[in-house]
Amino acid sequence: MKSSQMFTVPSRDLTKPLYPTLAEIGEKFRVAAWTLSGLGVLMLAIGLATNPAHAWANVLTTAFNLACVGLGGLFLLAIQSTTGARWSDPILKAHRAMPALLPIAGLMMLTLWLGADHIYPWAGPEAHADHVLKGRLIWLNRPFFFGRILLFFGLWILLGRRLVERGKGSAVFILVFGVTFVLANFDWIMSLEPAWNSTIFAIYGFSGMFLQGIAIVTISAIVLRRVGLLPAISKAQNHDLGKLLFAFSCFWAYIWLSQFLLIWYANIPEETAPIRLMLHSSWTPLFYLNLVLNFGLPFVMLLQRKAKTNESVLMVACFIVLTGHWLDLYLMVLPPVLKGAAPAFGASEAGGILLQFGLGHMACWPVFMKNVDPAQELPQGG
Amino acid sequence: MGSIDRMAPTRFRASFAEPGLLLEAVKRLKADGYHVIDTYTPFPVHGMDEAMGLKPSRLPRACLAFGLLGLAIALGVQIWTSAYDYPLIVGGKPLVALPAFVPVSFELTVLMAGLGVVATLFVVSGMRPKFKVPDLHPGVNDDRFVVAAEIRAGASYAELQAMLAGLGALDTELLTVDRLEKDSSLLDREATPLAFILSFIPAVLVLMALPLLNRDYLQRNITWDGGMMVPVAYQSFDPHPSLPGGQVLQTPPKGTVPRNGLVPLPYGPGQAEAERAGRELKNPLLPTQDHFSRGKLVYERSCAACHGKDGDNNSSVIVAKGLLAPAVLVAPVVKNMPDGRIFHVATFGGPQKMKGLGDLISREDRWKVVLYIRELQKAAAPKPLPASAPAPGPGVQP
Repeated sequence: MKSSQMFTVPSRDLTKPLYPTLAEIGEKFRVAAWTLSGLGVLMLAIGLATNPAHAWANVLTTAFNLACVGLGGLFLLAIQSTTGARWSDPILKAHRAMPALLPIAGLMMLTLWLGADHIYPWAGPEAHADHVLKGRLIWLNRPFFFGRILLFFGLWILLGRRLVERGKGSAVFILVFGVTFVLANFDWIMSLEPAWNSTIFAIYGFSGMFLQGIAIVTISAIVLRRVGLLPAISKAQNHDLGKLLFAFSCFWAYIWLSQFLLIWYANIPEETAPIRLMLHSSWTPLFYLNLVLNFGLPFVMLLQRKAKTNESVLMVACFIVLTGHWLDLYLMVLPPVLKGAAPAFGASEAGGILLQFGLGHMACWPVFMKNVDPAQELPQGG
Repeated sequence: MGSIDRMAPTRFRASFAEPGLLLEAVKRLKADGYHVIDTYTPFPVHGMDEAMGLKPSRLPRACLAFGLLGLAIALGVQIWTSAYDYPLIVGGKPLVALPAFVPVSFELTVLMAGLGVVATLFVVSGMRPKFKVPDLHPGVNDDRFVVAAEIRAGASYAELQAMLAGLGALDTELLTVDRLEKDSSLLDREATPLAFILSFIPAVLVLMALPLLNRDYLQRNITWDGGMMVPVAYQSFDPHPSLPGGQVLQTPPKGTVPRNGLVPLPYGPGQAEAERAGRELKNPLLPTQDHFSRGKLVYERSCAACHGKDGDNNSSVIVAKGLLAPAVLVAPVVKNMPDGRIFHVATFGGPQKMKGLGDLISREDRWKVVLYIRELQKAAAPKPLPASAPAPGPGVQP
């Protein structure tokens, strides 16, 4: 220890703890969450009044992202449960709270009934004349589509509740999740552009979803340690979380390239059209930013062991990944809806993002608090 | 180092039943100022590195260097083979098509990093057959957790033993130096920035060597697989047992068009076709000095023997021998012919004895000869025909 460090006078009030308690944070956030949600709804309403297609696309982005958060937590929990991993429960707390978002995400998806014809080409009357869509209307029609939404969310919520509360049915959940998540991706996102097909699309969606889930539980672990609720967490645990984040960032890039490479190689016009738009338009900076946020920055930041064990670096990387995942979804949803128009950020985007924070907090915080009850004795990690 | 008595019991080891106890003991020994030499456990114990005060491993640097080497080799070889050594456009993509190079680059980076770091570990830690492992306690491969340390100067072994027993040690034993002796290991040496920089040399060397590989195998005659250079297929003039004519090379089918950009000439022999060519064809070449000299060369090689050096039959061999009387090219009859007509004669022959030279002289050269004939006519024009010269008879039509 350097001599100068031994005699520093603490500038803060020593009678108060260094970090606020979790309850204090929650109290502070409660008002903020309601404000954010209210503002978000207001902004989306403004968006709906001015540019309905744009606004409905943002509703879809928001709802899908919230569903991804819920599923990310649930899937992580299911993996831990199937493999009998015990290391995670003391550290990862958020993944039990994240599934609480699924009902809200489901409701938001169902509101799309009102705006489906604005964003889904198959929902309009002209679909019967379209040679690509004509044959697909058996699968892509309103009653069946929204019936599937109900079914998927119903399954996820029921199985998820069983898994979170009783720790049972993880294998069944993984099986059901595998099928439903693939169909959900094909239904909700890929059908925005009916001429475009990619069989790896669902894996791509999964990689982003899982990466985001890891980022969220990492943030929660760091926050919990900061407020003093996880005395067991040390550099080694941070290192593990950092490695997970790093690995799945690479996995995301791997899947991203797998999808891009085949389209790029095969050069089939209906497949390359959206990619061409991404590469040669005002979407291009966002397209590359997506790569940088989801892969480039986390890769460079977390390559060193020193960085993986550093909480601040990890935290920044996690927030970068969260931003990246939102952008990733945004780039999947918006270009087909805007039909090749230049990107425009307005009230709808702001509304969607605010709503995510607000709803995310409102839905998850109570469950989160229940899980990390300070009075509850925490098992010590090895 | 040389003055150390190798058989003196200056060290000791203690064994524990639990990793947690070992961890506490190591911390206590460090706090009390003992030099902890090493710990021996059946599996890695979390937190032991920090407790022993070990510096973070330097192996990740080797990993990075080997990874970059793999990346350099993969990218270098792919770019070199597909863009320099054998440029071949595949699927309409550019020669250096980076997306296509990513999978191989990724795999080779990971492969080199993985194998390289394991090899580095083996080399720097001196692991090899007959590697001498200190045999301190049979339990270290089973259920015992052992620490070896040096006895602090002035400390009593009995007190130390009591202290360790209080920490949960199952047994303690004094050790001589040679019991603990390891093979000398590069790991013990101090890391230098220079070594770190030097570790990147392989990757740089690979990149620098790649341009040297860009060579012509046949010319330099440095090849390890000659069979790839000489095709096994039949050569054009090889004999062939079953093809018509007993030769590989066959006469091309009728109407075959050469591949060197020439379009077929849509005229046949005969007077009517010659008239048509005269009407329709124009000399595509401008009368430049280059075309003129080439025309002159071709004319003097192929035409002058009969038509004479100046196109006036004066130096004609066949006229001198009294065999034939070819057309006088500088005469008004020929002078008034359109270019296409002269070209047609050069290609398909004249109405009398002249044979067509279309398959001997290239189309471009025939047009150049036409240019040259025009020049001859211009040169001959001012000169009035000498009265003594024989007037061109009716037989000297082209």
